[in-house]
Amino acid sequence: MTAWIDFARGPLFRLSFALMALGLLRIVLLTLAGVREGYQNSSDKIVAWKEVRRQTLGWLFPMARLWRQRPIYSLISFLFHAGMIVTPLFLASHILLWRNALGIGWAALPRRLANWLTLLVIFAGAGLFLGRLLSPAARKISKAQDFLWPLLIAAPFVTGYIASNAILSPRTYQEFLLVHLYAGDLILLMIPFTKLAHCVLAPLSQLVTAVAWKFPAGAGDRVAETLGFGDRPTWLPKARLTAELPEGAAGKGGSER
Amino acid sequence: MDRVVRLKLVLWVMVGLAAAIATARFAFGLGATTHLSDATPWGLWVGFDVMGGVALAAGGFVVTATVYIFKMEEYHSIVRPAVLTAFLGYVAVVVGLLFDLGLPWNIWHLTIYWNPRSPLFEVGWCVMLYLTVLMLEFFPVPTEGISALASLRRFLLTLRIPLVILGVALSTLHQSSLGSLFLIMPYRLYPLWYSPLLPVLFFISAVALGLMMVILESHVTAYLYRRKPETGLLAPLGAATRWVLAVYVAARFGDLAARGQLHYLASGAWQAKLFWLELALMAILPLALMSATRFRRQAGWQGAAAAIGVAGVVLNRIDVGGLADIGRGGPLYAPKWTEIAVSLGIVAAATLAFLFMIEHFRVWESRPADPEADPRKLPEFDKVGFTWLGTPAVAGRVKYSLGFVFAAGAGFALLGSPLAARQGSVPAPVHRARGDAGYLRSGVSEAASLGQPGELPRGVLYIDGDLTRYGVTFYHQREIERNGREKSCVLCHHMNMPHDQDSGCYACHRDMYQKSDASRHDWHASPHGANLACVECHEPGYARTSAHVKPCADCHKNLVPAGATIEIPNYNAVSYVDAMHEVCNGCHVKVAAREKKPEIARCAECHKGRLNFSDTRHYLYSPHAPAGRLVILPPPKVSEVH
Repeated sequence: MTAWIDFARGPLFRLSFALMALGLLRIVLLTLAGVREGYQNSSDKIVAWKEVRRQTLGWLFPMARLWRQRPIYSLISFLFHAGMIVTPLFLASHILLWRNALGIGWAALPRRLANWLTLLVIFAGAGLFLGRLLSPAARKISKAQDFLWPLLIAAPFVTGYIASNAILSPRTYQEFLLVHLYAGDLILLMIPFTKLAHCVLAPLSQLVTAVAWKFPAGAGDRVAETLGFGDRPTWLPKARLTAELPEGAAGKGGSER
Repeated sequence: MDRVVRLKLVLWVMVGLAAAIATARFAFGLGATTHLSDATPWGLWVGFDVMGGVALAAGGFVVTATVYIFKMEEYHSIVRPAVLTAFLGYVAVVVGLLFDLGLPWNIWHLTIYWNPRSPLFEVGWCVMLYLTVLMLEFFPVPTEGISALASLRRFLLTLRIPLVILGVALSTLHQSSLGSLFLIMPYRLYPLWYSPLLPVLFFISAVALGLMMVILESHVTAYLYRRKPETGLLAPLGAATRWVLAVYVAARFGDLAARGQLHYLASGAWQAKLFWLELALMAILPLALMSATRFRRQAGWQGAAAAIGVAGVVLNRIDVGGLADIGRGGPLYAPKWTEIAVSLGIVAAATLAFLFMIEHFRVWESRPADPEADPRKLPEFDKVGFTWLGTPAVAGRVKYSLGFVFAAGAGFALLGSPLAARQGSVPAPVHRARGDAGYLRSGVSEAASLGQPGELPRGVLYIDGDLTRYGVTFYHQREIERNGREKSCVLCHHMNMPHDQDSGCYACHRDMYQKSDASRHDWHASPHGANLACVECHEPGYARTSAHVKPCADCHKNLVPAGATIEIPNYNAVSYVDAMHEVCNGCHVKVAAREKKPEIARCAECHKGRLNFSDTRHYLYSPHAPAGRLVILPPPKVSEVH
């Protein structure tokens, strides 16, 4: 078992961490390149930069905005995210690993606080999971993976808490550590390739919406042609939309919307 | 995928792997990432990257001289690609050199602190000056569309002839000075390669290589971009190459004959075979193929001849740079995979730069159709998720960056722990357990008696291997009583030192956290220890490893007491901490299961009192913890050293 633990702590962790860091950098750069191209190709160069900035900063701390509509959800969600980022980064045991591997270290959380934060993440995660499960509206817009993510993310927190706190036998400690390591590595590995990438893409979403969502004229027609719907105007995919649009709108070309 | 796109994807993967290794190399140094050592400071990076790279760049000066000095204007169309190849080749050389220099940030010293008697001084200056010349020669191409630089372009174009002459002069100096570099180490080079003519041989082969490289490069790009090969234009170059190669072969054999070294050719040594292989590749085969008019005028044969010749000359440079000297005096050097990956990565990066240049600037008479910018091409879809990847250009960069990221991740995973490789880990010697040892011989059956408060009672050991005052109280007498008196000894004392009974754990498990050599190899070999010759334990005629060695029991009787159940697979003793956990806790787990008392297998059963569980952790993670853990300390600051 020690060999499996060493593998998860050594090569596998290096692979996962490097893929996470470089993969996140990659999608940020690709997104920014897309934004740049979209801006260059669009005929409409007017962008509300100030509004984009205001919205981006505002949505980084969504509590103030969501407080009126869904106070409990916004609070739990914020605590979940904050605990999930802060705890692994500033846990003394993790910092020790960095110190051993690269000779770098930083200030650690007090042990007691780290314990409370871990519990907070676990219970906040459970709360979010239940909220999604019990609310019909949330259930409707959820896919299967949306229910799996909280469980996978909770796994290293639960096993880590047990391994570092429950005074069990060394063997049990190793078993929990094994699950902790492999679950953690799996999450790191998946961050840049799944919806977890919102950790870097969320701050870009306002910018992308404002700038890159300016199709060059005729772009929609080309996409439709590729998909084999060349004979149809792209913006009339469903019959119910035709009722809302004025007569003769189909003749104006698809991309103006 | 188009062939260009596929090639670029492979190249980006190679660059990604090299980028990961480069990070480790510049963060942790050469020793941690390569097989280079003080005995073999020049390895693949010098032989392939620097010497091979310089030779591959010879096309630049050969073609510029042909067109601008000998006025053979028909070759004008290959000047730009040749100069670009040379420029990128020299950039690759400089990058490779930065990898190979121990203190790359001191590379500017060359310009200020002169040592004119050093061949490396000449090499360094030539690289620097010729790279500048190549940059000035190539500068007009990428700046064609920039009107602000038009006057500068015009000025450089008037300087063309002086620049070409300067380039030829510098190249002549430089190609040959790489050979002179090896004149100062006659006893290191094998006689088939060492020659006072080495500079001349290097220069002649560089001219031939320059011509063959131009031919090869033209054929490869023609294949990639589906252009018509310039076979007819290149055939006279091939004809010229054969004369140069003929001169080279004559010079090589004439030199060997004049020095009286011809008998080495038939010596049967592996170097002789290497010599024949090298000469066949770099001269004889291309010479034969280029001499036959039929082969010379056929695109396939022409390209093949050039490719063989290029491979041969690069092999020649690697041979001189170190391959032929393997095992001559120094320890055996074989390049580590990291060195090979970095070399390939640099070549890949240069190739990518070359493809970028010909796609975006007028390196050829007309730019090739960019395979990623073809407006008629359909957008691509990700084959797994059917996500739209975008136009071919966007799809290209999505794919390339993914290849780069995965290769870099694999590189980091494969690298091992370079910091540990550089610094090692801090030893933590183990000390014997304290407590009352005298009772052991006085009678095992004697019941434990309690001592005064503050004193360790009889029959109790205090196990504190690293002397940090955080240890475990071990009720030795009580364990004897519980586990069957005399029979219990072998449960823990599973092996003894020679002439000893019931050796303590510390006798073999000598480090807290690392394996230690239980057979004490160095002590046995030392004149101050057992003073044994190697063959007294290692079987003669075999590699001296643990595979062919006398068992300890051949000399030392009764090392393993009767009834011991712990098997010893090799000569390494596990760390003290692992041994304690295995033996103590192994027993506790069994008893816990048997007697349904899970609490006795818990960590806190031993680590209690002053060494309670959370206390240990707090203590170990504090910045004031002694260097007892397998903690690798950060490198000392300069102020602390002085």
